[in-house]
Amino acid sequence: MDVGNLVLFFLAGLSIAAVLFIVTAGLSLVFGALRVINMAHGSLYMIGAFVSWFVIVHLANALFGFWAALLVAPLITAIIGAVVEIFVLKPVYGKEHLLQLLGTYALTLIFAGLVRKVFGADVRSISAPAALNSSVPIFGHGFSVYQLFLIAVAVLVAGGLYLLLNRTGLGRNIRAAISDPQLLSTTGVNVTRLFTIVFMIGTALAGLGGVLVSPTSSVDPGMDSNVLINAFAISVIGGLGSLVGSLVGAVIVGLILSFGFAYPPTAHYAIAFVFAAMVIVLTIRPWGLFGRAEQ
Amino acid sequence: MDRLRALLPSARGDRIRWGLAALLAVTILLVPNLAQVAENAFPDSVSARFAIFLASQALVLGLWATSFNLMLGYTGMVSFAHAAYYGIGAYTVAIIAHNYHQNAVYGLLAAPLVAGAFGFVTGLIALRAVRLYFSLLTLAISQLLFTIAFEWYDFTGGDNGIHNLVIPDWLSDQTTIYYFIAAVTALCLLLMFIVVRSPFGAALLAIRENRQRASSVGLSVKAYELAIYTIAGLFAGVAGGLYAIYDLQAYPQLLYWTTNAQPVVIALLGGTGSFLGPVLGAVIYTYLQNFVGKNYPNEFDIVLGAIVLGVVLIAPGGFVSLPDFFLRLRSRFRRRPEDERVELVESAGQAMAALEVSRAVASSAVQVDPGAAEPAGPDQRATLLKVNGLSKSFGGLVAVRDVSLNVKQGDRHAIIGPNGAGKSTLFNLITGRLKPSAGSVEFDGRTITGWADYRIARAGIGRAFQITNIFPRLSVRQNVQYSMLAYRKVTIRPFGFADRIFREEASDLLESVGLGRYSELAAGQLSHGDQRALELAISIALGSKLLLLDEPTAGMSPYETQKAMELVRRLATERGLTLLFCEHDMNVVFGTAQTVTVMHLGRVLTEGSPQQVRNNPDVQRIYLGELEASA
Repeated sequence: MDVGNLVLFFLAGLSIAAVLFIVTAGLSLVFGALRVINMAHGSLYMIGAFVSWFVIVHLANALFGFWAALLVAPLITAIIGAVVEIFVLKPVYGKEHLLQLLGTYALTLIFAGLVRKVFGADVRSISAPAALNSSVPIFGHGFSVYQLFLIAVAVLVAGGLYLLLNRTGLGRNIRAAISDPQLLSTTGVNVTRLFTIVFMIGTALAGLGGVLVSPTSSVDPGMDSNVLINAFAISVIGGLGSLVGSLVGAVIVGLILSFGFAYPPTAHYAIAFVFAAMVIVLTIRPWGLFGRAEQ
Repeated sequence: MDRLRALLPSARGDRIRWGLAALLAVTILLVPNLAQVAENAFPDSVSARFAIFLASQALVLGLWATSFNLMLGYTGMVSFAHAAYYGIGAYTVAIIAHNYHQNAVYGLLAAPLVAGAFGFVTGLIALRAVRLYFSLLTLAISQLLFTIAFEWYDFTGGDNGIHNLVIPDWLSDQTTIYYFIAAVTALCLLLMFIVVRSPFGAALLAIRENRQRASSVGLSVKAYELAIYTIAGLFAGVAGGLYAIYDLQAYPQLLYWTTNAQPVVIALLGGTGSFLGPVLGAVIYTYLQNFVGKNYPNEFDIVLGAIVLGVVLIAPGGFVSLPDFFLRLRSRFRRRPEDERVELVESAGQAMAALEVSRAVASSAVQVDPGAAEPAGPDQRATLLKVNGLSKSFGGLVAVRDVSLNVKQGDRHAIIGPNGAGKSTLFNLITGRLKPSAGSVEFDGRTITGWADYRIARAGIGRAFQITNIFPRLSVRQNVQYSMLAYRKVTIRPFGFADRIFREEASDLLESVGLGRYSELAAGQLSHGDQRALELAISIALGSKLLLLDEPTAGMSPYETQKAMELVRRLATERGLTLLFCEHDMNVVFGTAQTVTVMHLGRVLTEGSPQQVRNNPDVQRIYLGELEASA
């Protein structure tokens, strides 16, 4: 394997990491502020991908369709997120954490059934929008422009989240909620509404991830659990509730997957390497690389 | 007292549950006969063979879900790896029968050992983390095991799995297999039932209710969690082995994490709070799966999700709690309208009734305990606790700096100081919740510096917390009784009946702290003041020689405060306890303490009798002065 190949696999790993980061950032943000692990996060990613497919195939031509989907799908998943937060999570805040796990776990079953009922169990595929559907030469190999686009979007999302958290009033409240929600409510901030907004941002990111991944992988009813497993691995490696952790974790997992699949002898076990990495990190730092130790 | 009785667990609901269990047992015995009768009656629509097959499936799922509930319901652990141990059980039977051509029943004997061994090793890793991280780690472990089963073609058959197992001739008949499965399931259920009612099971309940408290009554929480994780894995292995025997196959999907939905749904359906709940849940699940799931696979997932969601949001007790639910519903209809106000419990009825007294106390002058007012001569008593140069820093912040302290045997020693003086940190250092950066702690002649909190609790330092810290859903008596079990190391015993051990002793102790009549009430329903009294009782149950009280009267009404401190003084005298407490209420401090240490900014400022401290100008300046100025 020459240098060109290495760079190529490296870039491919980063493009996998890009989507995983966007999805995991949503999961991690929600955990940081609400202390809830949203088991249904992968379902919203799947819904994002299916909405993307629907918009592109049925509502517009392929070029305009993708950009429309990029707006519509996160909006829809954010609205679903609001409904979920208000009707499922609000009643179980402050109760045992296992009720939150089980409640959102129930939603994964419901969403999986609904998606299969509405869209069927077929595997679908979408092509990238025409403007990005080409490749550029890198070290003598062709590399997909769309995958470079994914990396750029992830950088934009990371920057946007940083600005949101550090330069806006909403972000200040979210950071305060992450450190002490009870104290925040005594300062007159409407924590109830804040939590709904944070959850909507989280699910919008899941939906966005679903749209972005749809041209690079198949859209099918099993994609919810696949992404959820990876997002969990990333947030455990990076530390739940930490955006930097999500970023670092996503890059680690993206590279492991990319290089793991590259060599025939390890291809079957690439996913096992991810979990091995997770076990190793947790054995040394049970709260992840950038996480805070639970009380 | 009628109000009190309405809150107690209903003996009637219990009787109904035992009745249901007996009915279930009889039904299980009669399944093959009933199936035959049904087939004879409706030969077109019913197949006895299929009905018996479904009953076998329900039993195996029931066994599997019950083993899962040992963690979910009894210990409060959410594992996503339980399907992996079930799958390992099935593969053990399949591999022994198929690859090694041995009797499948030997495989069934090996299944729990193999699954238990995997459970122990992977549990060691998963239990590096707690709560959510533990759950996520089990997910990773389950996917690792799945990948191995999926990819190791030579040994596990890869993604095809292993099919068409050969089982011994005497087992090949459908009815015989059914009775065989029923017998094995019954044996396993009996063993698990013995475990959950044993002192070991009591320790699990304590951990479920309050991990931190469980540790401070002397339980090594992680060891118990590892033990139950292994035991649950072992029984899941039996269930998986039985699965391979009636379905004659093993395949990787059995280990996949989504398969784990089955024990979760089944346990929740039947009720996690009841031992046989999951078995009932398995019957309902099997019915749903074969009569809804076969025809409407997508709707089936939605129905399952809706059921889990409904249980989570509406009735965390599941189906088994229905008897209680109906009894409550009925009593609600029977109740006269004027009684309806008495919904919430006021166990501190005395406190309310004595509102007058409370006003009187609040307005009266400081109540000084005559014992405390005695001038303290040179103290000849032995030193029980010796703190030497103790320091603790968090990053750059030094919370406790070079603190030395001697607590004499039988003393009532107060630590005072403004907020941030380091009092709570000092307590955390003494009780082992924090590790000191420097210095040493000696207790009763032993150096206990850096010991784990449960070992220090065993050594005889009891602690009541700033935030009330009890086992809320256990009864008041169980709070005390299980603490005794933990402290006296009886909880390592996985047999015997926990509720019968030390029962008298616990009741006596509760009488002496004035909680006798509430002993069967759930501890979480007690008033705040009574919960503090219960904490004291727990500390005494632990045989503590030294009692650390962190703001014992925080959040109490003046009347409750007075009562609580009377109780503390009386118990200390009666039982020869040494007290070390920190407190903001100066009435409490000067009414109870014989020695007072003043801390300021992490250091000891001065120490002496209440009178000396009162007259110390430095103390007046930094502390009492503040108070008087603000008063």
